[in-house]
Amino acid sequence: MSDASTEAAMGSHRSGGATLFALSARQVTKRFPGVLANDRVDFDLLPGEVHTLLGENGAGKSTLASVLCGLYKPDEGAVLRNGTQVRLTSPRHGLQNGIAMVHQHFRLVDRFTVAENVVLGHRKLPFRLRVNDLEDQVAQVAERFGLPLDPRAVVGELSAGQRQRVEIVKALYHGAEILLLDEPTALLAPPEVEKLFETVRAMTQAGKSVVFVSHKLGEVVDISDRVTVMRDGRVTGSVARGQADTRKLAELMVGRDIDLSPRRSRGEAKETLLSLSNVGLTKDGVDRIAQVSFDVRAGEIVGVAGVSGNGQRELAEIVAGLIAPTSGEVSINGERVNGVGTRNVRKAGLAYVPEDRLGTGLAPSLSIVDNLVLTRDRGFLVDRKSAHVEAEAFIKQLEIKTPNALTATRKLSGGNSQKVLLAREIFAAGNNSRVLVVCSPTRGLDVGAVEAVHKLLDEARSAGKAILLISEDLDEVLTLADKILVLYRGSVVHEAVGDKVDVEAVGLAMAGLS
Amino acid sequence: MIIGNIRIELEPRLSTPKWLYAAVPVLSLLFAFVVGGVFLALTGHSPIGTLSLLIERGYASTKGITNTLGSATPLICTGLAAAFAFRMNLFNIGEEGQMYLGMIGSAWAGIVLAGHLPGFAAVPVVLLFGALSGALWVLLPAVLRAKLGTSEIVSSLLMNYVALNLVNYFIFGSRGIFRDPSTSFPQGRLIEESARLGSFGTTRTYPTVFIAIALAIGLYWFMKRSNYGYETSVFADSPNTARYAGMSSTRLTLSVLLFSGALAGLAGSMYVVGPAGKVDPGLLQIGLGYAGIVVAALARYNFVAVILTAILFAGLREGGASLQISSNPVPISIAVVLQGSVLLFALGGEVFRRNRLRIRRVQQVSVAS
Amino acid sequence: MNSNVWILTFSDAISIATTLILATLGAILTERSGVINLGVEGIMLMGAVTAFLVGDGTGNLWLALFLSVLVGVAMATVHATLTITLRANQIVAGLALVIFGNGLSQFIGKPVEGKSRPVTIEPMNLGALSDIPVLGPILFGHDIFTYLTWAGALVCSLYLNRTRPGLVLRATGDAPATVDAQGVSVATVRFVHTILGGALMGLAGGWFMLARGTAWSQAATTNGIGWIALALVVFAAWRPLRAIAGAVLFGFTLQVPFTLQGQQINILPPEIVQMLPYVATLFVLVMLSTPRARRLLGAPKMLGQPFVRDER
Repeated sequence: MSDASTEAAMGSHRSGGATLFALSARQVTKRFPGVLANDRVDFDLLPGEVHTLLGENGAGKSTLASVLCGLYKPDEGAVLRNGTQVRLTSPRHGLQNGIAMVHQHFRLVDRFTVAENVVLGHRKLPFRLRVNDLEDQVAQVAERFGLPLDPRAVVGELSAGQRQRVEIVKALYHGAEILLLDEPTALLAPPEVEKLFETVRAMTQAGKSVVFVSHKLGEVVDISDRVTVMRDGRVTGSVARGQADTRKLAELMVGRDIDLSPRRSRGEAKETLLSLSNVGLTKDGVDRIAQVSFDVRAGEIVGVAGVSGNGQRELAEIVAGLIAPTSGEVSINGERVNGVGTRNVRKAGLAYVPEDRLGTGLAPSLSIVDNLVLTRDRGFLVDRKSAHVEAEAFIKQLEIKTPNALTATRKLSGGNSQKVLLAREIFAAGNNSRVLVVCSPTRGLDVGAVEAVHKLLDEARSAGKAILLISEDLDEVLTLADKILVLYRGSVVHEAVGDKVDVEAVGLAMAGLS
Repeated sequence: MIIGNIRIELEPRLSTPKWLYAAVPVLSLLFAFVVGGVFLALTGHSPIGTLSLLIERGYASTKGITNTLGSATPLICTGLAAAFAFRMNLFNIGEEGQMYLGMIGSAWAGIVLAGHLPGFAAVPVVLLFGALSGALWVLLPAVLRAKLGTSEIVSSLLMNYVALNLVNYFIFGSRGIFRDPSTSFPQGRLIEESARLGSFGTTRTYPTVFIAIALAIGLYWFMKRSNYGYETSVFADSPNTARYAGMSSTRLTLSVLLFSGALAGLAGSMYVVGPAGKVDPGLLQIGLGYAGIVVAALARYNFVAVILTAILFAGLREGGASLQISSNPVPISIAVVLQGSVLLFALGGEVFRRNRLRIRRVQQVSVAS
Repeated sequence: MNSNVWILTFSDAISIATTLILATLGAILTERSGVINLGVEGIMLMGAVTAFLVGDGTGNLWLALFLSVLVGVAMATVHATLTITLRANQIVAGLALVIFGNGLSQFIGKPVEGKSRPVTIEPMNLGALSDIPVLGPILFGHDIFTYLTWAGALVCSLYLNRTRPGLVLRATGDAPATVDAQGVSVATVRFVHTILGGALMGLAGGWFMLARGTAWSQAATTNGIGWIALALVVFAAWRPLRAIAGAVLFGFTLQVPFTLQGQQINILPPEIVQMLPYVATLFVLVMLSTPRARRLLGAPKMLGQPFVRDER
């Protein structure tokens, strides 16, 4: 499992030799209600290295990072800084030890300026704030690490990449020597990812150490000096640069040989079931969607790729009938459905799986049974009996892990609640839908669940449904889609056919650089 | 929280043991009695003696329990009104004012309409008018909330003070239709006999109590089984999900608030049909509207449980009221102190229902070098 | 009609605004941390009755006011414990406080019911300044607490915008997760400011009783001023300095019914005129709800939401 270089590194530590790890975890264990997130985990970080914690969703890597920075306290085990044990009681304590975490979901105050956000919480801040001085200080730190920022800009108005820069500058301003970056590329387009990697290299050259927490195999291989893989709360292996092979890493991540090959339609696509023609949405004077036209035919999957925030949600809601477009036409099976409302769109034959599983697609506190009847016609009294029978059938058929059909959906894991959602939208009785709109269906799911979901979508395609897949996960789109569209700032800027796609061109299009 | 080697934490429960559901209200009541007892003692009354007298006079004697039931009748309605709205995170604080308007509206029907109606229809019509008036009084806050998203809390609250002045005006400030024409003493005019219900024997319990209880049970069943109840439960849980499923938030918000107002108005009309028979400024002193909120919160917004908590609170009030005429008179406000305390403790106790205390030893791993 | 009367009304409006400003400042501090404390009315009542009782018992003005502050602190502590430590629903907790404060103030005030004010807060004698026509009585005819309150609003504003703890406070209301990630205890910030808020609310009640009240009668004391203060917070867009302007405006609506009554002007029956402050507040609330107004307002984003560190 461990290989030569790791062994050597560990060995030198054990013999009390010269190599001192900047940060280590020893037998760290962390439990949450119902789940063992970290199980006797060991981890080491050398000074000046970029070390990636790789694992699928739910593997425990974010938890470990949170323990390392002081956000969580381990139930068992220890954290060592420069060889000495530290009991980190809080993120502030972690910061005092030079450890800072940049979260996937930025912890920034939108209302504040960049400078205000950066200095917030700093120990040495004077009681009376002199705004100009602070702004200068922040600008200096940003410059030093090649991260130009306008300290007076209001954070709420910045792009994702810029906000990430604010977070990094914040960590550096507060004196971080070790930076833990949690899924940093999730919200970035490929060229922005490159910029991030440059920044990371600049930081390590200045003596900082970086831990990358990610599930994106392909990306991390280039940037990492070492990769430690986790699965189900345990470390499954650790490889150094040059020994990292994508397939081997995938195996360590999942524990078996997984088939990463794409799935394509096996037959001829038939009649057009969903059609968008010059659809546009203008809100508050801004074009959220502009001139979008495409068709989806029965038996095909059209994938819409793009970085989060480029109009995906608006597009989905227009097609699903939640918002009316300000221009253009949407038709299902030839029938015009602009702004007729969700109920009528469903009657016209469309099912919608929203990105926000628990907060939109399902009612979290309600049972599986109650959620099953959500999108169908109910009479004056709700018929729960037949829904209950149906629910039990689905639980068996789709292997949904739940105590029973009356369990509240929020108690289910991500994968299982997604199965409920898909069951309702694809298979449920009274469901005459021939068009399916699916948004980021595998976000936050472990690979096993991802496989299951992809299989379901593939089957739905074979059964003749027309599927519109809108996903921020480019890999997913590349795997499933017969036709690929790239959405940037509300417009379709690139089109490709699934088998013949030029991935680099797609990446550039996603960043608006085509 | 860490003390030495021991860590004490609040951890969300995976499931709640049944006994805890009952334990929290009961313990809250006990603690509330302790608080009340302290204040009683501080003001020169015997805590145990006074409190046991209160309990006896509120629940244990025939006179007591019937008074309590009579007092509980409108309280069940305001409790239902609050529970109905609060369950949906719509905080209708205006039950008090809606109840006053119910009193006014039903009295109007009882004075003006009842004479023209066949005997059996008088009471239902009067009750109905009370409910409609209550709904009318919540209309402004409801529309503001449904259409503009304005918080209904302060707006419904302010309507209370307007309603209060309205009642005062009708009785003290004008000589209009609601005033008793036979005397210059400011008091309300009685409604037609056909619109009034007599009490049971010499008690102060009126047949309206059955209406209130039936309403509570009916509402419970209705909200559990019907599509409307289903839609409101989805909306209460996750407004985004409701929107996704095509449910109109405007329609749901408006209907829930209006119905809540109607229930509060019904409380006012029950007061008119039963004990009062007229517009009675005395109603302004009791605070049934606010008490309804407490009753609902304590019942955790369960309609059937509202019956029980309403009886509990009415008993506290009746017992408390009777203490004013004992050898060592106690101000009636002791009942309000007890009510407030019960709620405060119940709120605090909720946390133990949702979470449990975890006490653990923090483990160390010795780092061998 | 006598213009003197209107000058006096204006002056009275400014005076009454003191209560409103104090209560509003208290609510602003609390709400900026993300906590909504609806118990203002109950706290003010308890502050009033406490000031009365202590003044009655000791004859000492400062002690009376001090104790009303303490009572406010005590009640706010209950609220803070319930909503922050025990994560109870903030709305219901605030209402419980109002009910409790209502009942308790009536209960302990029973012995002195109807008795007239034992000690009073007198306006300051500012000599020549008070003699300036028109502006004199309006601006310079008030007691020291009124002037201190204005200064207090200024201090609050500076605190919020120019100090380090003020920065943290503003961040806590908008993004408690951010503050938490920086290692600052959200619970502590909320606790402290809820209690500070309670202190000001208690003082508001105490001052009102001793400066403007006549006799102790629970029903006739604050009469909904606490709720108007909550609306004022929105009107002031959660900014202390704007609270002054709003308070004077509302002070006017509170004062006008008395003026009209005193002058025997009976265009409208007295009970209807009494509705004026509440109707005015409702009107303002409606105005503030228009989409344009909302964009300009900016409530603390996480107001009313308990903060739980996201552990799954």
